[in-house]
Amino acid sequence: MNATRPLFIPVILGTVRMGRRSLHPAQLLTRELGKRAGLETELIDIAQLPLPTNDAGEAIKDAGFSATMERADALVIVSPEYNHGYSGLLKHVLDSCLKEYIHKAVGIVGVSAGQFGGSRVIENLLPVMRELGLVTIFWDVNFSNVRKVFSADGVLLDDSYLQSIDQFLKELIWMARTLRQGREHITVD
Amino acid sequence: MATTIRKMICPRCGAEMNHHGNKLVYDIDPQGTRQIDPALGGFVDEFHTCPKCGSIATRAA
Repeated sequence: MNATRPLFIPVILGTVRMGRRSLHPAQLLTRELGKRAGLETELIDIAQLPLPTNDAGEAIKDAGFSATMERADALVIVSPEYNHGYSGLLKHVLDSCLKEYIHKAVGIVGVSAGQFGGSRVIENLLPVMRELGLVTIFWDVNFSNVRKVFSADGVLLDDSYLQSIDQFLKELIWMARTLRQGREHITVD
Repeated sequence: MATTIRKMICPRCGAEMNHHGNKLVYDIDPQGTRQIDPALGGFVDEFHTCPKCGSIATRAA
């Protein structure tokens, strides 16, 4: 493995809804990733991606998003739960790439206003991740009652979440390192 | 085995790339320009990554 090239793990904020509370978990995950040595990250807000809606799939690939996904070794997807599912625009964005994802790790952070912490949206995303060629980890982070977990200006009010985020990121980083080694050195032939 | 496999060369840095996966892709091209494998119902793409710079590339299997 090229040890001089740091891991790159961006965080995708998977909602464009006005007043979205998932922004605070996404910012928190980005900060926590940024504290890790040998690792780079950035927050990708799907609301800022200029993807058209009169076509779909790789036909609408955005060069900037594609380049970021190509550079990525793993992804964190932060998604609220919309009627037990993920937002249509998140799927629209994810579907715009394919080769960029193959054999890369992904961890999912669920967010909900209620008590289930986005567990249903995580379950719904898993088969999508698999078809996109991403490799899911077995740790999630579930933000339940998100309005009570962060202050209005995004300060984390419950430090117990930091423990689950730490475990989630340890697993994701291990998987990212392992899959990079595989992508770069282990042949399928 | 497969000593005659044609290696891809990284378009960014020129290093030899690693072929790490194949994926079945279904045809959504309205022109239908690619040959579908009737046994699989789609076509297979190869995925390659450069061990030097991390670039990725694909080609038809």
